[in-house]
Amino acid sequence: MTPLPRPPISAVAPSVAAPGIEISDARLEYGGVALFDLLTLSLPAGRWTCLLGPSGVGKTTLLRMIAGLEGGASGNVAADDGKPLDGRIAYMAQQDLLLPWLTLAQNVALGARLRGELTPAILGEAHALLAKVGLGEYAGMRPDRCSGGMRQRAALARTLIENRPVVLMDEPFSALDAITRLRLQDIAADLLRGRTVLLVTHDPLEALRLGDRVDVMAGRPATLGEPLALSGAPPRRADDPATIARHAELLARLTAASIQDPGGGR
Amino acid sequence: MKMRKKLSSALTAISLFLAAASPAGAATKMTVLLDWFVNPDHGPLFVALERGYFRDAGLDVAFKAPADPNDPPKLVAAGKADLAISYQPQLHMQVESGLPLVRIATLVATPLSSLVVLRDGPVKSIADLKGRTVGFSVGGFEDAILRAMLEKNGLKLADVKLVNVNFSLSPALISKKVDAVIGAYRNFELNQLDILKQPGRAFYVEEEGVPAYDELIVVANRKDLARKELKGFVSAVERGVQYLVNHPDASWELFVKGRKELNDELNKRAWRDTLPRFALRPGAFDRTRYETFAAFLKNMGLLKEALPADRYAVELR
Amino acid sequence: MKISRVLRPAIIFAGLLAAWQAVVTLSGSPPYILPGPTLVARALVDRSDLILENAGITLFEIVAGFAIGAAVGVGSALAMSFFRPARRWLLPVLVVSQAVPVFALAPVLTLWLGYGIESKVAMAVLIIYFPVTAAFHDGLRRTEQGWLDLARVMNGSRWAVLRHIRIPAALPALGSGLRVAAAVAPIGAIVGEWVGSSSGLGYLMLHANARVQIDLMFATLFVLALAACAFYFAVDAAVRRLVPWQIETPPDSEESRVFI
Repeated sequence: MTPLPRPPISAVAPSVAAPGIEISDARLEYGGVALFDLLTLSLPAGRWTCLLGPSGVGKTTLLRMIAGLEGGASGNVAADDGKPLDGRIAYMAQQDLLLPWLTLAQNVALGARLRGELTPAILGEAHALLAKVGLGEYAGMRPDRCSGGMRQRAALARTLIENRPVVLMDEPFSALDAITRLRLQDIAADLLRGRTVLLVTHDPLEALRLGDRVDVMAGRPATLGEPLALSGAPPRRADDPATIARHAELLARLTAASIQDPGGGR
Repeated sequence: MKMRKKLSSALTAISLFLAAASPAGAATKMTVLLDWFVNPDHGPLFVALERGYFRDAGLDVAFKAPADPNDPPKLVAAGKADLAISYQPQLHMQVESGLPLVRIATLVATPLSSLVVLRDGPVKSIADLKGRTVGFSVGGFEDAILRAMLEKNGLKLADVKLVNVNFSLSPALISKKVDAVIGAYRNFELNQLDILKQPGRAFYVEEEGVPAYDELIVVANRKDLARKELKGFVSAVERGVQYLVNHPDASWELFVKGRKELNDELNKRAWRDTLPRFALRPGAFDRTRYETFAAFLKNMGLLKEALPADRYAVELR
Repeated sequence: MKISRVLRPAIIFAGLLAAWQAVVTLSGSPPYILPGPTLVARALVDRSDLILENAGITLFEIVAGFAIGAAVGVGSALAMSFFRPARRWLLPVLVVSQAVPVFALAPVLTLWLGYGIESKVAMAVLIIYFPVTAAFHDGLRRTEQGWLDLARVMNGSRWAVLRHIRIPAALPALGSGLRVAAAVAPIGAIVGEWVGSSSGLGYLMLHANARVQIDLMFATLFVLALAACAFYFAVDAAVRRLVPWQIETPPDSEESRVFI
């Protein structure tokens, strides 16, 4: 399916409404042990869902499954508007996946390059986005000359430029220092407003800042507990008393989840 | 001698020799390097071996075949082997290069090398070679031989194109990649071509302007000339030739005894054709022959100086 | 004491020459077995025109064989990674081309292609076909899964993935294969010359050996070694231009603390 030509990304709601996503009966086995079984998750349309949980519980695997990358998984992943999800997802893995032989700008424009739609205009957009995430002067540099944090920012830019209604991100800010992380969270929240976003994170504060809803995944096989619905528009302020209160609550739930399954598997 | 036998067959032959040559207590061990893989040109040597003539002379002889025919004289010169079967034309050049070699006996007393063409091919006389291709193996002096033959027939070396076909003389000729080959052995390549049903025709070098020479000789290191064993070796070879001349069929049986791989049609025919060419008096030395050939090589520019022959050839007493 | 980049090879070279002379002197080796460096140098100078003329021929065989072999190898690797039938049919051919010793094939090739330059070029091609194809094919097969996943979600076509991801990612592997090929291509050319030729450094060595001009033989060998080295370094430099990026782990950590 050839995707529609892509308009430049902007801090404006996408012209096509982002669909909600229903995941049901998801099952994945890994080495004979079920990572999750009969898992159900629904991502509300145009909203930001954060997935939290201890290491190894299967958050990344679930994300990949939604992206269509886990061949061994069974279950249903469907958009609530009935149309196929293929071509409507932007995916950011935990590794930056920057191609070493391309410059940062060329990496950001990778999607267009692969689809054969690369134009100078798109490269210009790539430069603009890189500038937005603070890498303006490094646009012509190759990834091997950049630090881990810089590379992750470039990967974020690459995800944002795709301008797709569904965005799946796996710990996109983990390698950044606190201040840069806050800034980039703000940028992402801004640019991805109105899209259906699933963000996997291990940082409860991040989940509270960005999510419209927070799901905690725990156990083996993993299940999702009662979701936390959050009020107010993201990005929320870190010093907001409501945020701080729920932070403690989330931490408690996370600790309980870690005890349940002290880091094993993937 | 340019042949197609595998080294493994020679190695099998060697190990059988070593088993056959019984450890006779006081027998002196001798390493004799052949010029090529075991073939009918070595007839007298193996007859002498099988008849025990070397043992009678107090010698425990081991024959070894080389991978590179250029090696044996060098190894004898370097003291790594006692004797080598080599070629008279090469000897002249080796001595000039400083190798301390001396010819002590002759094995094959006629040239074997020849210019061979396909009998039914376009070349009916040497003069027909004008503008044609001649294949050769790098032996060192084949272009001199060819030049003499061409000049006797009114041509120059520049009138032919020389192509190195290494040791595949017959295949090159049969596949018509070349019109003639020089350095083919008349007792071998001709029979090989016959067997492959592509009969050939030879022009004999000594009939076409090249002085006669000994194709196969036995060389020793100059410093060993006083050793009694050398005379013993030559005497044993003479007895071998004698037996061979008197009992050719029995000699063939001795040649292939325990060396089944030598018992094929090509060797049978080559045996028959080589018989008349063995030196009947291996130890005897024809000084004129050697000095004439040296003068010939000097004329052709292959030697700087034609040394007196007794500097590099002797008749042992 | 800092040893400059030119001085070091010069010192190594001088050291090797000294070792050579020592071996000759100590072993008392005669000049027709192992000539000393001075004799060889003299032969090199005296017969320089003969040696250089033949060197040009052999060098041409090496370069042509390398170019053709590399092209065929790259093409084969691409075909094998993209078309399953090609993989099934080419893989055995590939293995045979490597397993059969070149010496055994040389006479056959010479008979087919004649005694001219074609058979020598063909030998060189044959000898480098496997290293180049195997290396590039390996590289194409081992593309990082993450990139392929990303490309899939981005809707890149199979061709786009091949062109923009698999091939560039496999270039370092190809580079390794090309380096090996550069080192062995001279073998093919020389073996080809030994089996049947009337020109080239291999032929000249044979001829000098037969004429017991061992100093000339060694001088030719020396020039051959020089030519082979020069060729290798030229290919190495070209490969490094082909793959200018560092694939290894980048210098990480500290910069993430830098404030922007």
